Amino acid sequence: MIQGLRNSILQSLNPSILDQILTMHEFSISSEIVRTVLDATEKNGGEKVLSIQLEIGELALLNTEQVTFWIHELFKGSMAEGAKVKVKTIKARIHCESCGYKGGMNLDRQDSFRHVIPYSCPQCSSFQIKVEKGRECILRRIQAVKE
Amino acid sequence: MKIIKSKGPEIFDIELEKDLLAKNKNLAKKNRKRFDRLNILTIDVMGSIGSGKTSLIKGVLKKLGMGKKIAVIAGDLTTTIDAERIESEGARVIQVNTGKECHLDANLIRHAISKMDLDGVEILFIENVGNLICPGEFPLGAHKRMVVVSVTEGPYMIVKHPYIFREADMIVLNKIDLAKAMEVNPSQLEKDAKKINPHVPFIKTNAVKGIGISKVIDALGL
Repeated sequence: MIQGLRNSILQSLNPSILDQILTMHEFSISSEIVRTVLDATEKNGGEKVLSIQLEIGELALLNTEQVTFWIHELFKGSMAEGAKVKVKTIKARIHCESCGYKGGMNLDRQDSFRHVIPYSCPQCSSFQIKVEKGRECILRRIQAVKE
Repeated sequence: MKIIKSKGPEIFDIELEKDLLAKNKNLAKKNRKRFDRLNILTIDVMGSIGSGKTSLIKGVLKKLGMGKKIAVIAGDLTTTIDAERIESEGARVIQVNTGKECHLDANLIRHAISKMDLDGVEILFIENVGNLICPGEFPLGAHKRMVVVSVTEGPYMIVKHPYIFREADMIVLNKIDLAKAMEVNPSQLEKDAKKINPHVPFIKTNAVKGIGISKVIDALGL
């Protein structure tokens, strides 16, 4: 089913746009999310999806706006068409092996270009950091309706 | 009197705790177990577009001269050019076309290895799609991850992509013969790499001419 959706979207898009958009992995993650949502709702007897809740880590290499865009697109024509997509950001927590700093990354939340974020300790700039939290992409909840 | 209430639509929540990225990591672990069972040393070759991933693999194959004991999974968007280049060195090759995707993932590798005849194979190279961003997030289950960059990509390629270099077990700077023409200082790139990941080998190569290939082979423990 998802393959069908995917193909119909691919066909409806201008090929030159495709080259610009589909070269990031937001599309594959979004396909995975949509597949999981539709499967879980069907298994639980749901007939329509009202909303889904995602949690994306600050340090995951995912652009939230693109993920939301693709989920909405992939939902079209399914029982989840028009469902709300809520995204909560999971704050990063790191442990610096150089200076011992434990805590957040002081990232600008407006910055959606996550792949160019400095991957270093905010206190001593060392790259020897362990990420304890902030690299997730979790599908937390689906709200659905049955008649 | 019995009142029959019409049952309105029932709204319910489905609680999940599905980490979509963890799914790839779990599959990667399974791949790793499979490689261990088959006793195949697996190397994920990542790097930017045109940095020389294929040339480097070709150079290693040529030097090792192990023929069909080496297999290569060549990831590419749509063409078979790289697979053909590698095949000419006598290794077994399987081409994985990712279409529009920007990286290989553990599931694609799982499929690829199920389709390959791995009997007698001792080393498996996985050539990832040219990209310094996404492959870092998607481990494949390889024992070693190597990142290839070249001087023609300019002086900032390493500092701009710290994440993938942190994930690497080995960093290769290719096309070292062109450094002067590119006005790129290889020592500065080495410094950048050492700052991000001080504990892994940094090797300078000219893959086409075979320079530095034996160091790569040593660092990979082959």
